[in-house]
Amino acid sequence: MPELEVNGHHYEIHAEVGESLADTLRDDLGLTGTKVACDEGHCGACTVLVDGVPTLSCITLLHAVDGASVTTIEGLREHPMVHAFVRADAMQCGFCTPGQIVSAVSLVEANRDPSTDDIRHAMAGNLCRCGAYPKIEEAIRTWRG
Amino acid sequence: MELRQASSVTDLDGGLPLHGGTEVVPLIKAGILRPGELVDIRGVVPRGIDGTRIGAGTSLAELEASDRIPEALREACRLAASPQLRNMGSLAGNLLQATRCWYWRLAWPCRLHGGDECFAREGEHREHAIVANDFCASAHPSDVAAALLALDATVVTTTRELPLAELYRLPTAADRSTTTLEAGELILHVDVPQPDASTYLKAMERKRWAFPIVGVAAARSGSTTRVALAGVAPVPWLLEGSLDDATPLPRNAYKLDIARALVARATAALG
Amino acid sequence: MARLIRTEKEVEGRYEEVWLVVEEDALEQWPSGPREIVGRPATRIDGLERARGEAVYTADLKLPGMLHTAVLRSPFAHARVVRIDLAGALASPGVHAAIGPEDISQLEEECGFQGAAVAAVCADTFAQARAAVAAIDVEWEQLDVLLDPDEAIARGEQLDEPRVRTRGDYEQGLADADVVLEGEFRTQVVLHNSLETHQSVVQWVGDTLEVYISTQYIWGIRDEVAKGIGIPADKVRVICHYMGGGFGSKNSPDDYTFIAIELAKRTHRPVRCALTRREENIATGNRNATIQRLTIGAKSDGTLTALGGEYVNAVGWSGWVAPTEGPMQLLYSCPNVKTTTWGAKINQPPMKAFRAPGFVEGTFGVESLLDELAAKLDLDPLELRRKNYAHHDAADERPFSGKSLMECYRRAEPHWDRRLEVRSRSTETVKRGVGLASQIWYGGGGPPSYAWIRVGSDGRATVVTAMQDIGTGTKTAMAQIAAEELGIPLEHVTVSLGDSARGPYAAISAGSSTTPSMGPAVRAAAADAKRQIIEIAAQRYHLEERVLDLRGGTVVSADGNLSTPLEEVVGLLDDAQILGKGARGPNPTGMQVLTFGVQVAEVAVDIETGEIWVERIAAVHDIGRVINPLGASSQIEGGIIQGIGHTLSEERLHDPKTGRILTTGLDAYKLPTFADVPEIVSELVDEPDGHLTNLGSKGLGEPPIVPTAAAIANAIRDATGADVRQLPISREEMLRALREAEQRTAEKEKRGAPAGV
Repeated sequence: MPELEVNGHHYEIHAEVGESLADTLRDDLGLTGTKVACDEGHCGACTVLVDGVPTLSCITLLHAVDGASVTTIEGLREHPMVHAFVRADAMQCGFCTPGQIVSAVSLVEANRDPSTDDIRHAMAGNLCRCGAYPKIEEAIRTWRG
Repeated sequence: MELRQASSVTDLDGGLPLHGGTEVVPLIKAGILRPGELVDIRGVVPRGIDGTRIGAGTSLAELEASDRIPEALREACRLAASPQLRNMGSLAGNLLQATRCWYWRLAWPCRLHGGDECFAREGEHREHAIVANDFCASAHPSDVAAALLALDATVVTTTRELPLAELYRLPTAADRSTTTLEAGELILHVDVPQPDASTYLKAMERKRWAFPIVGVAAARSGSTTRVALAGVAPVPWLLEGSLDDATPLPRNAYKLDIARALVARATAALG
Repeated sequence: MARLIRTEKEVEGRYEEVWLVVEEDALEQWPSGPREIVGRPATRIDGLERARGEAVYTADLKLPGMLHTAVLRSPFAHARVVRIDLAGALASPGVHAAIGPEDISQLEEECGFQGAAVAAVCADTFAQARAAVAAIDVEWEQLDVLLDPDEAIARGEQLDEPRVRTRGDYEQGLADADVVLEGEFRTQVVLHNSLETHQSVVQWVGDTLEVYISTQYIWGIRDEVAKGIGIPADKVRVICHYMGGGFGSKNSPDDYTFIAIELAKRTHRPVRCALTRREENIATGNRNATIQRLTIGAKSDGTLTALGGEYVNAVGWSGWVAPTEGPMQLLYSCPNVKTTTWGAKINQPPMKAFRAPGFVEGTFGVESLLDELAAKLDLDPLELRRKNYAHHDAADERPFSGKSLMECYRRAEPHWDRRLEVRSRSTETVKRGVGLASQIWYGGGGPPSYAWIRVGSDGRATVVTAMQDIGTGTKTAMAQIAAEELGIPLEHVTVSLGDSARGPYAAISAGSSTTPSMGPAVRAAAADAKRQIIEIAAQRYHLEERVLDLRGGTVVSADGNLSTPLEEVVGLLDDAQILGKGARGPNPTGMQVLTFGVQVAEVAVDIETGEIWVERIAAVHDIGRVINPLGASSQIEGGIIQGIGHTLSEERLHDPKTGRILTTGLDAYKLPTFADVPEIVSELVDEPDGHLTNLGSKGLGEPPIVPTAAAIANAIRDATGADVRQLPISREEMLRALREAEQRTAEKEKRGAPAGV
């Protein structure tokens, strides 16, 4: 039975092989902050950190991350990046926002003052149909407040 | 479907190898792959860079960040896919990815799927092959493969060593596969000689996170320059001579213009 | 007093005559300029729950015992179900019910497009439902497909009578012209691709149907569902607290909601029906393709004498004929205009409204051709537009309620003046240029719309209305309006929306209408509540009402002797509340209410590879009074970025033989990424429309996407001399246009060269 450490909590999950990590998080653990928008690995809405690395949970099999440590938006709720997004108006419908924040947090943890080019390169896998990109960029540039 | 950990690199036993899963998992979801067993090979396939030898399990993100590999390979990795996919995807997985041909991805019974028609040739083919497209007009999307082909890399598998070019084959009526990998054979390493200069140029329909319309890699070692292209043929394409023999289809001749321009620029950039 | 009027109601450029009960809009507009709260930047009042992943979207809802649905959709663009047997599905694991064409009208045997719903199954899990759909035994008869819109028109396969609109004498206008230009423009099919797919969760609670749905129009869903299943509208409760994007595609319940309702009825369980991304990109609507054959006649000084347009909208199997001719009719003062708009019925999925439907496509055509005219006559494109400025709506011969386009042009000048500097940064292979295009669109909103406000004894207010915030930030704008009128801090206002059982009727969030429809109602409700508070204070402190006011949460008297916190006044009420009620008044009679603007694009073009970089876009729009400049700038950026996708990379493709859709995933269908975004500079004129409501505000959801494609195309012409005529301006189209321009130059040189050379 696969085991996961999610946002610091330990879980054992009953699931058939083939279930995606996104479905585990959303359906089994009730962590619906992680969104599924394309379910094919193309849009980034489902991004979570697996052992610290931004990962597309919709195309990650639960059984392939047995024993991993997973951080979702629910585990980043107190991160300054969340407030930076609100301050900068870095969201419209908000459906891609949790995935954007997970990617953004990973970026600034590795590079505390990313340049515009750094941001555009590191965030290119998180699509926002509303086009909040300029404000997201501003949020990332000003994340420390 | 079952999933187990491989105990060694020779332990596939008919199962489908799973590494980053960025290609395999979507294809399972789409019903194109229907494996009985998945074998997680991440624990057994080498990962990391050791001199000119790169472990097949090294992620594209790791390669993108390395200053020890040739520029063409680094740039190909940097411009490939999306950040998350580069985090997840392995070097060997990238080399073995399937075409983005929409007919193939939507499981039309095309030649690559064993059928008797190439729907793209008569249909919508603006992103398709402009050379070697007679039997199947699919385009190979790997930026990394084009770079490695120009760099004259060698692939080390569980059973043999071969020039990267020999990892690929054009599909034929008798055999529809685009690689020469045998059942149970895994790529372990890729040896990438250090050239004097190399570069990778990529044309795509948006600035990031798109497969190549045309990707051009060029590498110079001494007086020898090798040029290879992504997105122009059913396999990564080593340019021997010029592109004058290309056979573009009615709606993709523009790719030839782009390829010519990028080839000229890439070779000029090598000095 | 309630007043019954017969009036024109406009949504997305479609008009209908309706009876409306309206209440007088008695409030004076605020003077122009920022107020204490209105007109000043406010962060989203629901930003934190969205950012923290706490907001529950329809996609996140999990009701006890909820079943999941998969839908069998026609894999063919035109086919008939000869025989269908659901037995295999019913016998599949986890399945609770299956329905087919016999059961509800939304499931069809005759499928005129790929994606038409044929049957549906609900099961314990989505995977089980999907497996069961695969077990349905269907025999199809494939029918001939009609895909070419011109052929459809020629064969009379039209969705409506051709729409002919004329003014003046078009032929005479052409005869009077010194120069006549013609051009054929084509625009592609664009997919909405809201990140939350279309979906509903429904459950029966007693005799009431609860519909949780990702929608732009709670009340429209309520009505259509009630009519569709034949129950009273007050037995349908529609709920949508958060929704993940709509862009015009989520105004109606569609097949999936009726499927869920029928399955819920049969299983006595809550049922979810959610579309996959691939279904989304086939079956939930699109911006239809167009072919535009345009003619422009002008005097050599640039005065327009004739405008003509033959517009073919490739509508699909059903839908409506969007006003692609609108910009040609409305933008300029040309006396002689003739347009004909056809709606081609073809075997492609039906169109739906998509952010300024028709006008986005039509603006690309007419504004591109206008720049070709400017180039031909060697006139400044901005001057050409000023010369032909429309001072009234010449199409319907009525005044504009307010129009500050000339001011937009003035404010665009510093951006337009950059073009010499921009061009000078060209290299041998990368050419740079600047282009502009004007914007015209609706966005005035209208009645009916209602809001209530309750003020508790703690001095805090709640706006109650059953509207929806589709991500535009209207919830925040309503809080600002309420706080401003009440005279209390923004933090003391909450907004309760998203539930038809918990608030009065509210407008659709489409046609840029939410703020101009809802805002005046909210202000009226706040004024009603404030009046009552002042009345109470007057009695409590023995002062006249006219000397009292409420400011910053404090009740104050004109002489300054009284300054007491609001809580002290309303605190007298204990648990009781002040209730304010407000309604949207009528639009000005006999006037055309429109939004205006101009965008200036700077581009770079690699003339060897056809690569295009949009480097900068400056946008100046006139939407009347601005409620929230921060949210407004986000709307402008979002519209421009969607416009860039529409201009450069997005296109739904189909197989030319079978009509089946090929770009169903977000790999093949290319939305703009972070890296595709230019520098965006935006400015709003922010002058209240003096004739429009107690706010003078118009909507901003759609205007920013309207001129983007034409501005980019015109910048490309400025940079390269190439006339792009087709969207998207893919590498293929860019290289084609460059080659054409090159040939034109070569021919010109040949003609100009002395004989014998």
